[in-house]
Amino acid sequence: MAFIKLNDLEIEVEDGTNVVEAARQHDIEVPHYCYHPGLSRPANCRMCLVEPYGPIPGAPPGTIGPARQLATGCTLTVRSGPPERKLEEKFDAIIRTDSDRVIKAREDILEFLLVHHPLDCPVCDQAGECDLQDFSYRHGHDKSRYLEVKNVPPKKDLGPDILLYSTRCIVCTRCIRFCDEVSGSGELGLINRGSHDEIDIPRSHEGTPIQLLDNKLAGNVVDICPVGALISKDFLFKSRPWFLEKTDSICTGCSVGCNVTVEYKADGLYRIKPRFHEDINQHWMCDDGRLGYHYVNSDDRLQLPQKRVDGELVTTQWAEALTLISDALSQVEADEIVVIGSAQGTNEDNYVLQQFAHDVLKTTQLGLIGQLPGEEHKFPQFTIEADKNPNTAGARTILGSANGNVVLEGDTLWEKVASAKVVYLVNGGPERPLQDAERDALEKVGFLIVQDVLPSEVTQLADVVLPGTTFAEKDGTFTNSSGWVQRIRKTIDPPGEAQADWEITQQLAKRLGGEIDYHFAGEIAIAIAENVEGYGDATHQNIGDAGIKLT
Amino acid sequence: MVEERRILYEHLDVPDINTFDVYRQHEGYTRFEKAIAEYQPEEIADMVKDAGLKGRGGAGFSTGEKWSFVPRDIEPRYLCCNADESEPGTFSNRYVLEKNPHLLIEGILICCFAMGIETTYVYIRGEFTLGKKMLDAAIKEAYEQGYLGENVRGTGQNINIYTHPGAGAYICGEETGLIESLEGKRGQPRNKPPFPAVQGVFMKPTVVQNVETLCNLPFIVGNGVEWYTQMGPTYGDARFDPPKADPNTGTKLYCISGDVNEPGVYELDLGLTCTELIEVAGGLRGEEVKAVIPGGSSAPILTHYELDTRLDFTSLTLAKSMLGSGGIIVMNETRNIVDCLLNIMKFYAHESCGQCTPCRWGTPWVRDIVQRIADGEGRQTTITRPKFGITESGRWGDTGETEEIYEDLDLLESVANNIANVDTMTWNTICVFGIAVSWPAVSYMRKFRPEFEAAIREGKLVTLPVAEATVPPEENYAYQQRIIPKEMTDLE
Repeated sequence: MAFIKLNDLEIEVEDGTNVVEAARQHDIEVPHYCYHPGLSRPANCRMCLVEPYGPIPGAPPGTIGPARQLATGCTLTVRSGPPERKLEEKFDAIIRTDSDRVIKAREDILEFLLVHHPLDCPVCDQAGECDLQDFSYRHGHDKSRYLEVKNVPPKKDLGPDILLYSTRCIVCTRCIRFCDEVSGSGELGLINRGSHDEIDIPRSHEGTPIQLLDNKLAGNVVDICPVGALISKDFLFKSRPWFLEKTDSICTGCSVGCNVTVEYKADGLYRIKPRFHEDINQHWMCDDGRLGYHYVNSDDRLQLPQKRVDGELVTTQWAEALTLISDALSQVEADEIVVIGSAQGTNEDNYVLQQFAHDVLKTTQLGLIGQLPGEEHKFPQFTIEADKNPNTAGARTILGSANGNVVLEGDTLWEKVASAKVVYLVNGGPERPLQDAERDALEKVGFLIVQDVLPSEVTQLADVVLPGTTFAEKDGTFTNSSGWVQRIRKTIDPPGEAQADWEITQQLAKRLGGEIDYHFAGEIAIAIAENVEGYGDATHQNIGDAGIKLT
Repeated sequence: MVEERRILYEHLDVPDINTFDVYRQHEGYTRFEKAIAEYQPEEIADMVKDAGLKGRGGAGFSTGEKWSFVPRDIEPRYLCCNADESEPGTFSNRYVLEKNPHLLIEGILICCFAMGIETTYVYIRGEFTLGKKMLDAAIKEAYEQGYLGENVRGTGQNINIYTHPGAGAYICGEETGLIESLEGKRGQPRNKPPFPAVQGVFMKPTVVQNVETLCNLPFIVGNGVEWYTQMGPTYGDARFDPPKADPNTGTKLYCISGDVNEPGVYELDLGLTCTELIEVAGGLRGEEVKAVIPGGSSAPILTHYELDTRLDFTSLTLAKSMLGSGGIIVMNETRNIVDCLLNIMKFYAHESCGQCTPCRWGTPWVRDIVQRIADGEGRQTTITRPKFGITESGRWGDTGETEEIYEDLDLLESVANNIANVDTMTWNTICVFGIAVSWPAVSYMRKFRPEFEAAIREGKLVTLPVAEATVPPEENYAYQQRIIPKEMTDLE
């Protein structure tokens, strides 16, 4: 640990920490643009200048004073040194971020940054979460001394989801470094020189793009852009960021379990942004996850239970649907029932389902389905996994917890389904296409109960359809492929009369005389912690924002 | 009358000196033979240090000291020869490359031997097509004669030279910009530290030297340190007790252009005054000297009051200017300083690499302000302040004193100083390009302020007589900031 004096604070920071981070840890703002903790540090914005102190050349030993040159806080790191190199006999570094020189330097740099920046904040998507706006308010001049004509580079369409408003760009090169270092695809570069610098993709002489910014991590460049230059087409002109509510959650796109922030209003989700987690996703997420939330807002969402009358699905009341199901379940033997949980569902959903199957239905035939596997994408600093479910690991453990860890999957599951009389299938998540073998098996089922969020091929085969909820409408936990248990949180209300999956299962259990009685997801998590091996610490209270890793 | 002392340029005019055989007949490669026969590598490094050789590229940093920063335990180490001569007003390296390329190769060999370096990159300015052709041919000959390649002259050391043409950017003459460009990246300077001596080409220790610096090495080795230190003054830095020697030894290739009768490259001892130098170059063309740029376009200008300034690294630093690359541009009374500044600022605005904020957007801004002044659209306000005194009617009252405010001149100085502050010598930029912009901008404006004011007042460029155009030293802000040379005492 290095012992440093930052302004008037005497603080300890870890060796190798840079001044921007050290200051951030103690709520001192060092404004910066080009520096991003997940990328290399070119120190080109010159915004984070700080004043280091050191021995004055030519002065008697022991005298220290401000260094001749200001240093960039992003590249200036502190580490503990030998006693003879300590300043004032105890400090490894003395740094001021509030001296007159530093304040003047920030003002000057901001003036330069605004020389060519258009003041189109009223129509800019970034307004409200723009570093240039914020720092100008806090550190900048109130008027411009620039009289000349501003540069007006063109607006560019970089890829399927990315627009570049070049006029707003401050050439911090975060996006270029992201494409070089994290995604490794290197689509972006600088063209021209000096004040005509522009970010661009490779183009032919005629200007037609040779390569688009269409890698699966491209959306991150929008997040890291400190100004409104890189804009997501998906979010463009949809909402002002300050009108959005924000809730921490987990991405459901694959089994990595990226930490995300869901931004929403009462009428649905607006966007998903990555949230820092050191061991899982760092600062990033993929575009599949980022743009994969639209099914939540879909107008087709199942809002009421449905039953099959004369071959057609018609909406019905909850009471009737539950009666139909309990009648069907009570007429068959336990070994003629198959209960299928979902890798899209939370640990809590699957635990209640498991309890229902084991304690109420007395069946041992528990299965697990999820989204069909996709492709794995490896990037230098990021991996998108092939398993497109957020909770395969958790669902598998929890469904099998009272059953000797036997969970039916794949062909064995569909064989059992084909011979079952009643199947209770919980899906949830985006629409899931069926493969031929699966369709054949499900068609043979006598009475198929499907609990899902969207009409799909599966619901088309069902005798009763129950409206469940997506990750955005319920509380719970997911376990990712590397064993991290993490929280999702309810953001919006479910559409119509849809209910959390565990609530539906619990109601069914009650109809059949079971004694399952939970009031909120956290209660189920406590039950999981008590009963499932390895989940001893995984209560909602313990998990918090950071998640916990299973041992 | 001062005589030229030709050392580097001694055999420049010998026909076919660019060929190995002719070069051999003129002591060619004998200095290298002497180095490997009589000295250990470390001894040569010490000789260079003792000779007080200062880097001729611009910064004037001690070559021997630079070499001592190179960690000798990290392999490989590289030598990078900076032949990207692009400072306006400088054209001395070009003649070495075009006429006597073997001298450069010999210098490189001595440096490689002293530093244990096996690979050298010569980064040649892209426009020097002839220079590159000549150097490539000379390198080929040297390979054939066994002076390059494997086991050079039985030393057991392999030495290879690769030439690399630049693509036409001024900033690639900055050592780290050059390294980036050499590595195939965009020519943008790196943050320092780490300095190239520790992490340079391919992040390995690298010695970056100018062509002229390397060409000095054969003569230091061949004729000895004592011979070399006789040329040029050695000062004593009085901040140390006893005064530390501050050598400005050797000759310098001064590139004299502008209003002189015989412009060209002159090889002279360091420490001559401006007046002497103009005399060497055939005298002034015109009536009187208005200004002298002492070290390429980025150096602060000298007025006719400062013509006694010695043109060496130390004296010019004390005069708040710099010797830089030795590109001396003389201007006579017909030159308009606003126009000169506009010309220089256009160059810098075009050449800013655009990597860091102050330079990227400050440099064109400075150019635009100067352009506005030159177009006669500079802003000026007359303000009236109440002042108590005897009015025209002979009674006490408000005399209404007026003052002219030249807003654009204040703006010019402020913007230039925000890129790099010339008074405190600090810059907010990554590299020294920032100070190369603000140095001329601020020094021209301060030292020739009447001419700038006249352009704004009259609405057009006005060339004032020299005496009127120049701010006298006692009123010149730059002079007030000047370090009084009492800190430096002449050892001689």
